[in-house]
Amino acid sequence: MLLRKILTGTLVLFTALGIVTVMPANKAEAKKKPTISKMCLNCHKPAPGSLRGKFDSVAFKSRSIQLKINKSTEIVKFNPETIQVVVAGKTEKAEALRKLKKGKEIRVEYSKKGGVKTASLVSVKPKIKVAAEKLLTTAEIEKLVAKGPKKGKYLLVDARPGPRFKEGALPTAINIPYPAFDKKKGMLPKDKSALIIYYCGGVT
Amino acid sequence: MKAEQLGYTNVKVYHEGMPAWSKRNYSVLSPKFLQEAFIKKDIPHVLLDVRPAKKAKKGFIKGAVTLPAGKVKSALKNFPPPKKKAPIIVYDAKGGKKAVKAAKTLVKAGHKKVRLLTGGVKAWEKGKYPLEKGTLATEIVYVPKPRPGEMSMDAFMEIADKTPSNILILDVRNRDEANAGVIKGAMLVPDEEILDRMSEIPKNKMIVCHCATGVRAEMAYHKLKGKGYNVKFLNANIFIEKDGSYEIEK
Repeated sequence: MLLRKILTGTLVLFTALGIVTVMPANKAEAKKKPTISKMCLNCHKPAPGSLRGKFDSVAFKSRSIQLKINKSTEIVKFNPETIQVVVAGKTEKAEALRKLKKGKEIRVEYSKKGGVKTASLVSVKPKIKVAAEKLLTTAEIEKLVAKGPKKGKYLLVDARPGPRFKEGALPTAINIPYPAFDKKKGMLPKDKSALIIYYCGGVT
Repeated sequence: MKAEQLGYTNVKVYHEGMPAWSKRNYSVLSPKFLQEAFIKKDIPHVLLDVRPAKKAKKGFIKGAVTLPAGKVKSALKNFPPPKKKAPIIVYDAKGGKKAVKAAKTLVKAGHKKVRLLTGGVKAWEKGKYPLEKGTLATEIVYVPKPRPGEMSMDAFMEIADKTPSNILILDVRNRDEANAGVIKGAMLVPDEEILDRMSEIPKNKMIVCHCATGVRAEMAYHKLKGKGYNVKFLNANIFIEKDGSYEIEK
């Protein structure tokens, strides 16, 4: 049962058939490892001593955090006594790492010693604030989608990246990924007073 | 909001977005996207043909399982459990009532990645995508993609039982955990010590890492792979007894 507890906060995937072939890593590739995810580059720039990517997992037993930056994996050590975890503007203790969901966007401040990165701070991306009168609920969206864009007089825009949209989207939605907005603004209606509804992969 | 900067006055936000929607509703994809995002990329998914079995036989999408819309409810137990988050794509002749009914049944059963193929087989054909003829599969199979470097439980057990000389099992748990029992022939290097003790880990053998749950084993995998090792890891819960016998579960 003790072992079960270690599992908290991690997503266990299920094994598939057979063995995966592993290519020996080439050293030049390891050096070129990105320090910031592509998605973060929309608003942030790479900075020394800082990593931006998606949270993968945490192991308190080996005091390590694993995060994904594009396709590469970074492992940083941490000291549970001293690490600061910033969630929704509040600084919390290491335990807050256990509650983080896989895939959550995080920034890690670290120092490097003998090739080992040690995190001093993990900051979880805060939610963007949107004025209440501009928010729509699932029930409201359901009603509009049932009517359809013509009768409901709306344009539903999915701001997620193309590959996510392709895997499945809300009925009647069109895809304008956020980074491509300027290129694709021609897809928006001519009428500036038309109802445009934006959504993406959850509260970000 | 970039749209507001352009002068749009009625811009709203569905803040909860896709995750909230998927809890209560199915989503949709076009034939082009089924082909590009799933079939071509070989992304594991469940594809359901909910037309009557006789009709389905005359032309179906490759990989589809036949399950007429009316039978979905009684077959729910044959689906992978919702916690596996399998993408389930439902289609009928034209993306009509049958597919909607089946999709709604699956959403209600707790599946959060239910998709409906817009326009059904008709739209699929219009897109000039191939149809297969003959017998459809009747059993729903879903095998999620392993994480990079992940070794199957079966392969791991074979190695643990036979201890081949060209493979080394690396136990990356802490000493207090290992005190309770270690797999026969395994070498103990706690994940924390790997970088310092790299020289003790042989380069001429394939390394298979395990911990207690797979989390640290995966971290160890990345550390060793970064140093050029031929390495894999067990992504599962493993319980090891004093005598070296063990149990693995996902």
